Amino acid sequence: MRARRLTRTLTCIAALSLAAAGCGLSGGSDDGDATAGGCKVDKANVGSGELSGDVKGSITFQTTNLKKDFGDYFNGVIAAFEKEHPDAKVKWIDDPGDATFTQRLVADAQGCTLPDVVNINVNTAIALTRNGYLLDLDKKAPDAGEPFVPALWKSSLYADASGTEVHSVLPWYSGGIVQTFNTELMKKAGLDPAKPPTTVLGLFDDAEKVARASGGKYYAFLANPQLRIPADWQQMGIQIFSADGKSFTFADDPKTVRWVEAMTKLYKAGGMPRDSLSSTQDPANVYGQAKLVYGPTNPNFLRFIQQNNPTVYKKTGVARFMLDDLGHTVGAPQYIGTASTSKNAVTALAFAQFLTNAKNQLEWAKDPNVVIFPSTTASLDDPFFQSVKGTDPFAEARKIVASDRKTATADEVALTPGELNAISAQIQLAMQGKKSAEDALEDAQSKGNELIEQGS
Amino acid sequence: MAQHTVDQAPVPAPLGKGAPRPGSVPEPPGRLRRALRSVTPGPTADAGGAALYRRWWLPWLWMLPAIVGTTVFGVFPFLNTILVSFTDAKPLGGAYDVVGLDNYTRMLGDSDFWLATRNSILYALIVVPLMVMLPLLLAVLVEKNLPGIGFFRSAFYTPVLASSVVVGLSWQWLLSDQGLVNTWLQKAHIIRDAIPFLSDSWLILLSAMGLTVWKGLGWYMIFYLAALGNVPKELHEAAAVDGAGAVRRFRHITVPGVRTSMMLVGTLTGIGSLRVFTEIYMLGGATGGPGGADRTLPFYIRDVGLDPLTGNAGYGAAVSVALFALTLGLTLLAQRLTKEDEG
Repeated sequence: MRARRLTRTLTCIAALSLAAAGCGLSGGSDDGDATAGGCKVDKANVGSGELSGDVKGSITFQTTNLKKDFGDYFNGVIAAFEKEHPDAKVKWIDDPGDATFTQRLVADAQGCTLPDVVNINVNTAIALTRNGYLLDLDKKAPDAGEPFVPALWKSSLYADASGTEVHSVLPWYSGGIVQTFNTELMKKAGLDPAKPPTTVLGLFDDAEKVARASGGKYYAFLANPQLRIPADWQQMGIQIFSADGKSFTFADDPKTVRWVEAMTKLYKAGGMPRDSLSSTQDPANVYGQAKLVYGPTNPNFLRFIQQNNPTVYKKTGVARFMLDDLGHTVGAPQYIGTASTSKNAVTALAFAQFLTNAKNQLEWAKDPNVVIFPSTTASLDDPFFQSVKGTDPFAEARKIVASDRKTATADEVALTPGELNAISAQIQLAMQGKKSAEDALEDAQSKGNELIEQGS
Repeated sequence: MAQHTVDQAPVPAPLGKGAPRPGSVPEPPGRLRRALRSVTPGPTADAGGAALYRRWWLPWLWMLPAIVGTTVFGVFPFLNTILVSFTDAKPLGGAYDVVGLDNYTRMLGDSDFWLATRNSILYALIVVPLMVMLPLLLAVLVEKNLPGIGFFRSAFYTPVLASSVVVGLSWQWLLSDQGLVNTWLQKAHIIRDAIPFLSDSWLILLSAMGLTVWKGLGWYMIFYLAALGNVPKELHEAAAVDGAGAVRRFRHITVPGVRTSMMLVGTLTGIGSLRVFTEIYMLGGATGGPGGADRTLPFYIRDVGLDPLTGNAGYGAAVSVALFALTLGLTLLAQRLTKEDEG
């Protein structure tokens, strides 16, 4: 969550710095001027018409902080590509991916030196697409979406300079989402680990049983609302922003009131540690001490708990994440973009597609050092994801998430740190009984709107 | 200062702090003057020694790094903040409008601002007296050269070296509902239910103050140890001969002896406690306590001014100026009190 918020923040930095530089940026257009984002580009890279030609020449390929751990894998992919296309040469660079990543990348793009093939996150994708620095795949490679999971492909659309939503990136890997819980504590609380909740409010109903049975020895989950906003709300089908994104609307939905009331009730009943209301405690650690029934929802966490608390790991059960009213999960993947400023766009696009093809994605996902899920339908169907041996929570999670990824979309709602703090603070007051759920939500919404307004 | 005198001897202007560098009205043209001076570093009444052979620009050269540093990282940002406070600038730059006093009007009508101001002032009012007295007592305790005293001195100093985040985490563990403090108190049957150190806004604020004091003790203890060395031993001996007990000697000899240091410590900790952020963040979380009730002014500035997307640097700057005014006000007040005390 934190990483996602950070990346959103960074995009904003990037977007704003673009605005600051006053670039009258325009995407590729049909009038033959052959510029993209203020850079002169090959005519074939912009406008209408499919990209075609020989795969040759040299391109640069940039990953984000992957060289250290996965050098062999990427060198292998590059060697295989170069073998298939003897006239092509791929130069691999790895960016440390620090806090200034988006800023630096946007600066590269403005300087017309964006790497030909580049690994980006959602927010960088938004910034680069808006300014026309990425190939419009709908025009340049209309079949590009075929290998990918349809739900993911359909939701990986970003607005170009004219505001039209286009495909400008190929979805790559993602972390996935899964329910995790301590089966032993669940049974103690009279819950059946085989029947985990399927809705967010259903989770709260179960959590209340935990509160009643635990006697303060263990809890359902941590209290800080920051850990659940806005994911719970989005999953419940609550409209968080207005359609134009210029104001919050979550307080207008009675479901949000019910959610706040459920949080308040559970907190008062002792289903959450009292001292976690505003704290920075990491739920993974508290779960590892066998004090929480429900654990964090990223599959990677299972690896963490396996290494740090093997006893708790053995008692851990997994289940598909609550789909609730939304009907599917959300989770933004990593993307591969192809620069519209590339001198060898044909080669760049070929490599981007090669890198993200089912075979290469599957090979990487099999690396025991990662917990990632491919974006291609074929790789998710592979026995590696589908045949579970034994009752190992991790293997089970792999199967569950692989099937979940087939319907998951990329349009995850994220709040800025300021918005999240302002909204959570009001929910905390409701949970302490200092405000009614309605009042807290009204105040949260107006404070959130103030922030949107002062930032716009 | 001797070289200054040489340099500025022919100038009638006052030479006090902040006086402009001479060289405009009654002077010969700068280049000529400098040329004259570098050729004839003639002796004047109060210059002597090495100063005679120094170039006029030499002291400026030595001061250059400090001047540049202060200007770039101190003076310029300060002036910039004041200017920005009259605009609606964004944290990341870009176009902005001058909005006059709007930010200040908004600030004065903002209940969150007043809450943060109250918290900051309370912080200073409680932390400063503790920070002035406790390290002094500690210094007196470890002043004598007893065998093994080095261990205690180091032990008291350790928190100073630890990072605020590490210290904050340790305090989280100490003060949580099932933490060390609550467990002890419950085992000793002093309390039945855990004290909500980390979920009650008042207790979070007080715990954060405790953390600030504990972390600062060692640092100011060193200050006082140095000061105590300057209190004449004879006074203590004489007073002891006259039958004064330890408390009396402390009150009438030690305290007056380190009064200047106490004022310094008071001013420094006053400024420091108005700038508190980490302690509140570590104990109260990202919202600054439940409902943001423990936010101090720096916390509030972060919330309203620094968020890259939703921040308003102009408003943040206005609150920063208010924080500066508050700091300056308290410092001047402290100086005034000292003078009255001495008078």
